[in-house]
Amino acid sequence: MLRNRRRAMLGGALAAMAGAVALTAGATGVDALKDRQVHMKAFGAAAKALGEQFRSGAPDKAVVKLQADRVLVAARAMHGWFPRGSGKEAGVKTQALPTIWTDPAAFAVAQNRMVAAAAALDAAADTGDMAAVGAQMRNVGEACKGCHEKFRERDKS
Amino acid sequence: MPTRLVHWLIAGLVVFSWWSATHDHLSWHRLSGYLVLGLLIFRVIWGVAGSETARFSHFLRGPRAVLAYARSGAQGGIGHNPLGGWSIVAMLAMLIVQVGLGLFSVDEDGLEAGPLSKFVDFDTGRAIAHLHHLGFTVLLGLIALHLLAVAAYALRGRHLTVPMITGRATLSPDAPALRFAGPWRVVVAAAVAAGVAWFVARGLRL
Repeated sequence: MLRNRRRAMLGGALAAMAGAVALTAGATGVDALKDRQVHMKAFGAAAKALGEQFRSGAPDKAVVKLQADRVLVAARAMHGWFPRGSGKEAGVKTQALPTIWTDPAAFAVAQNRMVAAAAALDAAADTGDMAAVGAQMRNVGEACKGCHEKFRERDKS
Repeated sequence: MPTRLVHWLIAGLVVFSWWSATHDHLSWHRLSGYLVLGLLIFRVIWGVAGSETARFSHFLRGPRAVLAYARSGAQGGIGHNPLGGWSIVAMLAMLIVQVGLGLFSVDEDGLEAGPLSKFVDFDTGRAIAHLHHLGFTVLLGLIALHLLAVAAYALRGRHLTVPMITGRATLSPDAPALRFAGPWRVVVAAAVAAGVAWFVARGLRL
């Protein structure tokens, strides 16, 4: 009972997040940079929640589906998170590398890879086949990593 | 013997943990951490209920004894000397902190994470991961001190590595006989350590 209520609340939060993603799509400069950081953290939180389902040994299909949806919403919105002027020149600490804007074609390839991976993850979550979801999660992880390696400054500590 | 084995296993696993973390083998890194956790639990149990020279009560001395030892320039007797004893505790404590932080760490993509990260949110897990990274630097500093101390004793003619490997040291004839714990104690302590480490590695699930 409590689990269901929590799930419903999570669903509400998800809807609110999708709204926020859409609302801030037009932000520029520092605002876009800060929004991006919020979105990326939410993205990471969704990935973390998915990982936890699998580490629990008995993934809850409804939670998996919910988090897969979150990942897909974020992946699709991501193209709008990097407007010109939201890099280091915005004057706020960011790990976004200039190559994002100097090599937009390569960046688009990396982003599209994530959209495809997230779509496949969500489709797998629809079938309820948890082994397939697990495989797609690794794909999503590769897409995260592939992009971060090229376009994100390495963590210093 | 158990203490020596634990020592060399931890030394090896610290190297392996570093290597697996820097080469993106996070599953191996986690496994390595669980093994270190088990070894640390064993060492703590052994420090309370193990063989004589392994016990904390045998080698932990007050500040006066440590100062006196440091001033005397003596080489110490059997087991850890008063200064070395605290260096052991410092390394054990830092290893415990380091493993503890690792259990709660979350990587930047959120997918790789320690088994206890479910108790913290993404941001906290990331912050802990940064501390985990920082903790390794602290650990390296303590290990460097440890190696320097061993080297300093070797220069003065006392080779500590040999007895640490073979378990045999030439003692003065009037040295008191050492008491070693029986094999059943090793088995019980190892079983408890393995059980607790396994339970933690599964995210506190049986």
